[in-house]
Amino acid sequence: MDITAELKKIVGGRLSVSPSELYCYSSDASQVKGMPDYVVRPKSTDEVSRIVRLAYENEIPVTARGAGTGLAGGAVPVGGGIVLDMSGMNRILEIDIDNIQVVVEPGIIQDALNSALKPYGFFFPPNPGSSAMCTIGGMIAYNASGMRCVKYGTTRNYVRDLEVVLADGTVIHTGSKMLKSAAGYDLTQLIIGSEGTLGIVTKASLKIAPLPKTRKLVIASFENAEIAGQAVVKTFSNGVIPSACEILDRVSLQVLKRYDPNLVLPAEGDVLLFEVDGTESSAREAAEQIMKVCAPLTLSIRLAESEHEMADIWAARKLVGAAVSRLDPTKTRIYVGEDVGVPIKQIPELLKRAQEISEKFNLPAMKYGHIGDGNLHLALFIDVLNKDDWDRLNRAADLIHRTAIELGGTVSSEHGVGAARAEYMEAQWGPALEVMRAIKKVLDPKGILNPGKLGL
Amino acid sequence: MKNMKNEEKKEIEQVKEPDKTEITGKECGKQAFEVDRRSVYKCVQCGTCRSVCPVFDVVGWESANTRGRMLIIKSLIEGRSPSEDVLSSLASCTTCGICASKCPAGANPPEVVEAARTQLVKCGITTGAQDKLKSGVLTHGNSFGETKSRKHWLSKSELSKLPEKSDYVYFVGCFDSYRYPEFARKTFGVLQRFGVTLLPDEQCCASPLLRTGFREDAEKVMERNLEQIRKVGAHTIITSCAGCYTTLKNNYPEELRVISLPEFLAEHLEQLNLKKLDLVVTYHDPCHLGRHNKVYDAPRKVIQAISTLKEMKNIKENARCCGGGGGVRIGYPDISLELAKNRLQDVPEGVDYIVTSCPLCVRNLRDAGGDIEVIDIVELVAMAME
Ligand SMILES: Cc1cc2nc3c(=O)[nH]c(=O)nc-3n(C[C@H](O)[C@H](O)[C@H](O)COP(=O)(O)OP(=O)(O)OC[C@H]3O[C@@H](n4cnc5c(N)ncnc54)[C@H](O)[C@@H]3O)c2cc1C
Ligand code: SF4
Ligand code: SF4
Repeated sequence: MDITAELKKIVGGRLSVSPSELYCYSSDASQVKGMPDYVVRPKSTDEVSRIVRLAYENEIPVTARGAGTGLAGGAVPVGGGIVLDMSGMNRILEIDIDNIQVVVEPGIIQDALNSALKPYGFFFPPNPGSSAMCTIGGMIAYNASGMRCVKYGTTRNYVRDLEVVLADGTVIHTGSKMLKSAAGYDLTQLIIGSEGTLGIVTKASLKIAPLPKTRKLVIASFENAEIAGQAVVKTFSNGVIPSACEILDRVSLQVLKRYDPNLVLPAEGDVLLFEVDGTESSAREAAEQIMKVCAPLTLSIRLAESEHEMADIWAARKLVGAAVSRLDPTKTRIYVGEDVGVPIKQIPELLKRAQEISEKFNLPAMKYGHIGDGNLHLALFIDVLNKDDWDRLNRAADLIHRTAIELGGTVSSEHGVGAARAEYMEAQWGPALEVMRAIKKVLDPKGILNPGKLGL
Repeated sequence: MKNMKNEEKKEIEQVKEPDKTEITGKECGKQAFEVDRRSVYKCVQCGTCRSVCPVFDVVGWESANTRGRMLIIKSLIEGRSPSEDVLSSLASCTTCGICASKCPAGANPPEVVEAARTQLVKCGITTGAQDKLKSGVLTHGNSFGETKSRKHWLSKSELSKLPEKSDYVYFVGCFDSYRYPEFARKTFGVLQRFGVTLLPDEQCCASPLLRTGFREDAEKVMERNLEQIRKVGAHTIITSCAGCYTTLKNNYPEELRVISLPEFLAEHLEQLNLKKLDLVVTYHDPCHLGRHNKVYDAPRKVIQAISTLKEMKNIKENARCCGGGGGVRIGYPDISLELAKNRLQDVPEGVDYIVTSCPLCVRNLRDAGGDIEVIDIVELVAMAME
């Protein structure tokens, strides 16, 4: 069968088989690579369903893609086949304030959704560092989250219903507008985090939250990252739940200062950023409590002066991971081993081990992350023109993954498994992985949906 | 809302078939694709630029955004043979630079794209539009291929009175010379009192050649202008075109003191005796004046001295491109026009004029056909002098 001609019948001009175009779809922000044979940019559920059906009948792999900002190769077609670029399906279909929800197509960008919600006084809380560019579809498929996860949870906590195209092209809904339901298996939760291996999301109903009246930011610095880790544990055990709790080690701090020289940041040490939100008085009270609890451990501690200052600090923090070259133009940040997580009590231990790993392999590193939920981003950077650097990098990443599992944690807290971390699924899950494989087999008997991912 | 806008957008993409004309000529071998590796490898593929690239916004394919361009260039320096199918990606960048201003890694994609275009030219891979531009500049000294005199807008007596030597040269540029001679006349009218002269045989500044990859040809053209600048003895070049400005300032081999018309006007406001007009205007920052050279305040100072300024939705480093630059207006007119239409969406309500300080922006924004007249800053100044 002439697949090109068949695809053209479905999407017309929104099909490409040009080598340069295909090359642009052969990677995401990770190191995973794989060339597609076709790229299509569907505009409707019906088109997606027809494309998937065609792929099913001809046993061609289908890989969904949002903005390709993923850090695990989830959107990379490692088995070739068709890439479904979902980013053109980016409409907001309904803003339903009465039911505190919004219905969107999967290609909408997180920030664009929040800009549209702002005038109503609402927001969609999961906010990855990539919120300016990543799509809701990608967030659902990876169960993405961000700096405010510690209070607001992950994408998983905000999805009420999904429209999903299954492997044979059938279209189902997994939920409803209801706040709760006790009827049947929770297919919505099954699809979230499934990385496009069980179905293609074509619509999503999302719960939204009222924007807090105010936010405050406490900036504290510590002699080392371990003490900072202790301060986090102490804050939580004192009953304060910040809306964000981030760590930036001293290298990250330097990068941040290069990224935006106007930021007023502590001169030395490892830094914690605690954000609290709520009413003016509740936020002030929480901020004061954090300052009191942490003060004995800090080198310096202060409250951000203004909303403007807070916004600038967060904007820089969001993209710090990609900004290493500003410190040393011969170094590039490579996203491997970057997303481990451990139970919160193990954080000081993880920080210590991460430092040892970076020293052992003689690789400069930044350590930053959503420490409030046990998630550490270890940013290793290398000279990409040096082969030996690559070798040490991969060995360090492997060790950090194994360390996280050993500490009772996870190889990925939010970035997903994709192909990059597939090899650790057995170690992390044991026999539970077989259950996942069984589910995959039932829903996708021919294995056409995003093959090569999740260690399935 | 973005989604609504997308629905109305004209579909300008076409089915992309593989191009059979793989060019594997000698010069196009692996070593020949000389783009600085470090500048390419700075890109961590984060996709931040994807959300700001104005061309991607209207085209939708990954190859039409910055990251796609960087990836394609990477594949070429790593040994993929260049073929014509890279052109729709690499030739459609307006070099607006908004990606560079947002890139967390500090990459400079428009610079990388220009370097890649130079390599493609070496391999003989160019668009018809590029070739037309080049032939116009090399044969007739201007990007339009016009044959009439560059100074046709001056009267005979004015021509004869042009000083041979002067501290100041007004560099007119191709656009004002041939498309907007009234701007040239007005600019010259303002500058004359400061004793400026024109080059005896001004050539295109070479911007179109540099932006589209004809570096070697550009060098010859630049030298012809330089010779004349030396002869006139000028220490300062004044220009009212953002493209000429950035080229004269950043690409000419000799360090010249180049100032843009809005900077010159802002410096000499008191001597100009401008009256206040009862007008509310907005200002479009040309990419090559604003983001590339950080000239943000001078035009605003001039405008505020004459009228009331009401800013556009995205300004200064966030200003969206008009779509005219980088050879895109001539190479991809549909894309270029869509960009201009998008820019017009940023215009605030209740303004009498959209003012800018680049004739290419004027042209492109006018072509997008909004309700509000687009004028060059010199026209506003001329109104205030009447
Ligand atoms: C600088 C930077 C910072 C980041 N910060 C964070 C962070 O703080 N938190 C975080 O969680 N992540 C972060 N990420 C990772 C990434 O941005 C997120 O994982 C994001 O959710 C990916 O979205 P995307 O649209 O780019 O998806 P893609 O990368 O295109 O795809 C991701 C996965 O989703 C699948 N998919 C996409 N659309 C659909 C669909 N419609 N149906 C089914 N499957 C689909 C793909 O097959 C793939 O498996 C960051 C990335 C970068 C580059
Ligand atoms: S923003 Fe910079 S680093 Fe990120 S993809 Fe674009 S060019 Fe590359
Ligand atoms: S310079 Fe402008 S058009 Fe070119 S890649 Fe960057 S953002 Fe896109």
